[in-house]
Amino acid sequence: MGPTDASTAARPPSRRSGARGRIWAVTLQDLRLMRADYSFLVIMVLMPLVVMGFLKGAFAPAMVQLGVPDANGAEQAVPGAAVVFSFFLVGNVGYVIFREHGWHTWVRLRASPASTSEILAGKMFAPVLSSVLQLGTLFGVGIPLYGLRVTGSLPALIPVSLALAVCLTMLGLALASLCRTIMQLNSIVNVGTLLLGGLGGALTPVESLPAWAQTIAPGVPSYWAMRGYRSVILDGGGLSEVWLPVAVLLGFALAFAAMARVLFKVDDTKVFMA
Amino acid sequence: MLHVADLRKSYGDHVALNGVDLDVEAGEICGVLGPNGAGKTTLVSVICGLISADAGTVTVGPFDALANNDQARDLIGLAPQETGVYPSLSVRDNLRFAGQLVGLWGAELGRRIDEVAEAFEMVDLLDRRAHGMSGGEQRRLHTAMAILHRPPLLLLDEPTTGVDVGSRVRLLRTIKNLAGEWGSAVCYSTHYLPEVEALDATVAIIDEGRVIARGGSEDLIAAHATSAIELRFEGEAPETLASLPCRRSGEVLLVETPHPAAELSAVMGALGGHSHRLRAVELLQPNLETLFLALTGRRYEADGPDDDPPGDQPSRSGAGVETDGSDR
Repeated sequence: MGPTDASTAARPPSRRSGARGRIWAVTLQDLRLMRADYSFLVIMVLMPLVVMGFLKGAFAPAMVQLGVPDANGAEQAVPGAAVVFSFFLVGNVGYVIFREHGWHTWVRLRASPASTSEILAGKMFAPVLSSVLQLGTLFGVGIPLYGLRVTGSLPALIPVSLALAVCLTMLGLALASLCRTIMQLNSIVNVGTLLLGGLGGALTPVESLPAWAQTIAPGVPSYWAMRGYRSVILDGGGLSEVWLPVAVLLGFALAFAAMARVLFKVDDTKVFMA
Repeated sequence: MLHVADLRKSYGDHVALNGVDLDVEAGEICGVLGPNGAGKTTLVSVICGLISADAGTVTVGPFDALANNDQARDLIGLAPQETGVYPSLSVRDNLRFAGQLVGLWGAELGRRIDEVAEAFEMVDLLDRRAHGMSGGEQRRLHTAMAILHRPPLLLLDEPTTGVDVGSRVRLLRTIKNLAGEWGSAVCYSTHYLPEVEALDATVAIIDEGRVIARGGSEDLIAAHATSAIELRFEGEAPETLASLPCRRSGEVLLVETPHPAAELSAVMGALGGHSHRLRAVELLQPNLETLFLALTGRRYEADGPDDDPPGDQPSRSGAGVETDGSDR
């Protein structure tokens, strides 16, 4: 280690990359970490595919009753399992923040030239990508595997999935801001997944819920995700039919981002274990 | 490069920094010495913006680090007290991230990684995952991540904690190179006095949140430190021994003399009825330890309470485990 000329002496690092470079650096690092341990993502893709198989037969008569005469049950099982299991990835957002505390790298990040906003912006990309990969695989495999007939435009599933992924990532950030320990976060995610999944019509068709539940169902993101998917799968919808669910999901995302902005404290202590 | 003036920070009733003044020039290594709880970690944390100050001034290069820490952090490399590496990634990926975060990309980043890996003798470890490495190896990686971009101001908070003797020698050599050849200002916080001597560093001694001595270690020792005979008693030490110049602190009696070995027999003879309570005798030569003693009236104890804010810092664990014993 020695200087070659005066220009290489100690100096501020190159600024050519700026804020975008720092955000990209954080994103790349989380992608490296995801590549190093992708077991969680594999489980979150394989499990719902299995669950779809369990539920498909049970949903067939329910869907026929709801006015889909040639239903095989996949119309509810595939999007329903996709939405329920996508909510489990909310915990992943918290995990990418909490683990930095557990590894004592959060201090290193804070002392770097990256601002808090840049760090968080960089950290949101990998969870969004995880959600998109999960939803894409579940529909990509679920449709042929379980004989799901999509009556509308297949590409219209993409904006709904993207909006859901962004919404869940922002929800994860808000919850990570709120929680002090990873156990608190996991508990909320596990209970919340079942609650929101059930209320939004992902566990069972929303029409079969009690009247009071049907009344409040539009207040949860899973309802709008299921409405968007069902619009494409059952009602022959295309891009022009999914704009409302997409807009509402993005509205939820904005609300969760605002919550995170209020709740997130960069110098909070987060407990990764126990 | 670093200017700190009248810096103050309290955690509730506990005063961590009580008016710290410190200047470190480019190319200078400043050993920030003090027992645990003296305020070293708080000082480092305030300089790089991890915690806010109650009052005072911190300037890094041309930037006011308290008012505009974003710009100041561009000039800082920090190796915090806790070992912070990504365990599931390789050494190379850890270093790559450290470089990319400060704007090093492409071929230049590759060169720096090779350079720092060679300096820390980690070339063979580059493709190993960090969780498979020893605590000392992780500690080397942790420090290398702070040095990679040759920061104009390098803050090292007890970098040799948990590091074996060989690694410590390499680390000290690399830090000397960084200051001597690249012109970095280095703040080297430690409670191990011999490391400061090995670095040929200037010294800032912090005690109870204040810098109580600042300058070259040899100058400070010549000006303040004295040789002495230290007598440790069971129970309270006697106030005096005949007409010998003494200082008492609890169970310890200090007899200051320029020739401790020659005076020892006279001291022992003067013990009289206290001799049966004598438990230990030590001859102290002028060094940083006796300097601290002369300035504070207390022996230098490395193992005091930490100065971290209560409940605001994670407990030490893993590779960062404190080892005050055998490997030093």
